[in-house]
Amino acid sequence: MAREEIEIEISPSGKVTVRTIGIKGKRCLDVAEALARIIGREESRELTSEYYETEVHQRSQDEIHLRQRR
Amino acid sequence: MSTVLVVAPIVIGNWPLISAAVTTAVASLGFALASDIEQAQTQGTRGKTRAEIEVPESEILQEAAGADQKIVVERDGVRATFSRDARGALRVCMEGQGLSKAELRRIGQELIDRVTQQYVYHRIMTELNERGMAVVDEQVAEDRTVKIRVRNW
Repeated sequence: MAREEIEIEISPSGKVTVRTIGIKGKRCLDVAEALARIIGREESRELTSEYYETEVHQRSQDEIHLRQRR
Repeated sequence: MSTVLVVAPIVIGNWPLISAAVTTAVASLGFALASDIEQAQTQGTRGKTRAEIEVPESEILQEAAGADQKIVVERDGVRATFSRDARGALRVCMEGQGLSKAELRRIGQELIDRVTQQYVYHRIMTELNERGMAVVDEQVAEDRTVKIRVRNW
């Protein structure tokens, strides 16, 4: 089973990096954004390939499902 | 990996929350609460250098009128007074003998950074706790970066 974790780094000056690992699709953003909101102001955001892969994969599944229903 | 967010901290809260972060943070830098603030104030400021630093990204929420919103800490003759300024931001006044303004500012900035880190740590841990997330690992790197690993699914 894939790891589903969040890594949080707090720099010596208090700047925070939140990194999600193995949390699929939008779910990762929900958790990371909730943490960002309570900490301060979001400076940058990077979505890595897994986010898009998961979304694409989900879309493919939906398309297959729709085709099967036709 | 799927998402990386970088967040600049904003210190916001009521005085008890901020002062708790200040107390914990300054102790980790060897500062101690001034045992008798009144006595410290009567020592005067003659011959002492002063430097004031404001934390721009901060807001201390107004408490009941008359509440004392000040913390005085000392280390080796250097005194730092944390307070809420007129705009509601966190301000640190540094005082010390035989130190330049630049040196006092450097020490003051170090204090502010540590307070900010402590505040952020407290907010994150409270949020994780409320969400029922389990901290599976926590480390402090040599440069004092705090690394936390969390899991809940």
